Amino acid sequence: MGSVIRVKNVSKKFKIFYDRGDSFKERLLFKNRSRYEDRWVLRDVSLEVEKGEVLALIGHNGCGKSTLLKLLTRIYYPDGGTIEVDGRVSSLIELGAGFHPDMSGRENIYTNASIFGLTKQEIDARLDDIIEFSELREFIDNPVRTYSSGMFMRLAFAVAINVDADILLIDEILAVGDANFQSKCFDRLRELKAAGVTIVIVTHDTGTVTRFCNKAAWINEGSIISYGSASQVVDAYLSYMNGKKLEILKKEEERRMKKEAEARALEEKKNASFKAQHESKATMPDKETENIDYTANHFGLKYAEIEEARLLNHELQRTNVLEAGKPCSIEIYYKVNKPLDEYVFGMAFYTLEDDRLYGNNTQLDGVRIPHEKTNGKVTFKVSSLPLLSGKYRLNVSIVDVNGMPLDFYREYCRFDVISNDKSVGYFSVDHDWEVT
Amino acid sequence: MIRTLKEVYAYREMVVTLVHKDLRGRYKGSVLGFMWTFINPLFQLLIYDIVFSKLMHNAVDRYYLFLFVALIPWIFFSASMTGGSMAVLGQKSLVTKIYFPREVLPIAYVTSSFVNMLLSFVVVFAVVLVARVPVSPLGLLALPLVMIVEYLMALGVAMTVSAITVYFRDLEHILGIISMGMQFLSPVMYNEITMNITGRSLTLFRLNPMYYILSAYRTILYYGGVPDLKTLLPGLAFGVVMLLAGFAIFDVLKKRFAEVM
Repeated sequence: MGSVIRVKNVSKKFKIFYDRGDSFKERLLFKNRSRYEDRWVLRDVSLEVEKGEVLALIGHNGCGKSTLLKLLTRIYYPDGGTIEVDGRVSSLIELGAGFHPDMSGRENIYTNASIFGLTKQEIDARLDDIIEFSELREFIDNPVRTYSSGMFMRLAFAVAINVDADILLIDEILAVGDANFQSKCFDRLRELKAAGVTIVIVTHDTGTVTRFCNKAAWINEGSIISYGSASQVVDAYLSYMNGKKLEILKKEEERRMKKEAEARALEEKKNASFKAQHESKATMPDKETENIDYTANHFGLKYAEIEEARLLNHELQRTNVLEAGKPCSIEIYYKVNKPLDEYVFGMAFYTLEDDRLYGNNTQLDGVRIPHEKTNGKVTFKVSSLPLLSGKYRLNVSIVDVNGMPLDFYREYCRFDVISNDKSVGYFSVDHDWEVT
Repeated sequence: MIRTLKEVYAYREMVVTLVHKDLRGRYKGSVLGFMWTFINPLFQLLIYDIVFSKLMHNAVDRYYLFLFVALIPWIFFSASMTGGSMAVLGQKSLVTKIYFPREVLPIAYVTSSFVNMLLSFVVVFAVVLVARVPVSPLGLLALPLVMIVEYLMALGVAMTVSAITVYFRDLEHILGIISMGMQFLSPVMYNEITMNITGRSLTLFRLNPMYYILSAYRTILYYGGVPDLKTLLPGLAFGVVMLLAGFAIFDVLKKRFAEVM
């Protein structure tokens, strides 16, 4: 099959005015204000789309993907290169173009469809399909201003999708109506795809891309970084975006750590002066276990205390951002205030909704920690972190052999996990699909 | 050019819808609604008659009619020029969001004004009938031709100014002044006979494309004659040239409409 969209070495620049004056007076008086710089939004982009293919354009905001789509619809003209598109194009970039609120749904169908280049006969022939698809038959003769925004979008989408285009250009508009209508839209798009309609779609939803598209082009800073089968391009894109997210989170964390260190220094100063004043009164924590407030975030008898818990990544750096599939560890530094025979160290991962995903302690695993010294370190080592991308809470604790809390943090800190696994839920499961 | 025309033809329903919407929207919400299309020129006529015939005792015979048959076509042309300048800019939401041949917008605007003129002609014909002008059948036959030539001119001008206004917004206001000046330089309120214009002045007077159009209207509907080819052909030539120029200018300027709006 031959290609129906041929984009060759296309470049596009926009003039960015510092402060544009559109009138003669402004131009004359403020010559400086008309200064502008050229911003190249697309540079030397080439691609071909074959008949019946579904191509996704992906990339982060401002990468130029929507500009490319607007070039394909001919809203913009390229500054360099050529674009050839064979066949009737329908663009679902802006829904409901030309809708008039005072006119009825039926009249607006005619207006809107005419903007797509349909003749009266063609619209007459499609009218029933359009009304049927919009599910608005009983309201179709009411003025559009009485419609809810969802009804409005449904009508607009129904027109756009029934134009019978050879090529459909879609920009991030599949968030139309409720879930039922959305799946109906996708069903219709699938029908069109099966009927050999070529579709180019701009989206942020990588799920849509892998489910629905054959091909994808990843655009970054105006150039195509990767172009090929949808799943491969999505993988490359996601791992790049994860890397970027990691950088951002790391920077955030550095800032936070610095703040914490400052706060801690201040706290210690206070404590030091407090201790100096009350040195003689310092006693061991109360023995009465009823006084433990189990609802608090931090509680316990304080016979043994957690001085610090640390999350370490696979490079043994302290961090709050862990990479899934790689080793990591949790170090618990402790000191003993009143010696007991034996201590039990525990940890757990919680979701932000307070569901425990995983919890373990030294007692469960049969690791005995008898009293030997007054301070030390216990490390929970993970060979491969199985969590999916998201934010989690870390719980750390020291209890005695009967489970009496000595020092217990429900949430010691929060941490982020970055994963390339696209599964949903919290855990990665090592798997393969086999089709027989 | 041919490709653009083909495409515009394919989008003909859009022109029809836009014209329909414009005409319907014009008097939307008013009690008399569409009747205003007729009431407006009728009262205009009444006022001209009172002022120029009864109060000022104009020497021209039936001056109200003399003025009226040229004024209605002039209003169409002038509206196409001043209002037409906003034909593209006023549809920003369409131009920046969706593709269609941009020529549709000035075409729809001028067509809508043209239809409005045709409706006003119902009143014109009524007045011509009441005034018992001996209209010649051949002259009446030539009337549609005159109208078409005027339409071509108006479209050519509207295409030019609608495209330029997108880049240079002052044009809309400048055109208001130009239109006023042109009204006095064209044979709307007088003609070369009533003002006794001859010689070089007449040659200059005839450089104005509207001269041929308005003269033809007046020949048919006021003098009851048939416009001769010497009037029609230069008018047609002007019309075609203005239209081609309009298309060419529009074609160049339309490429960046969506960006600068």
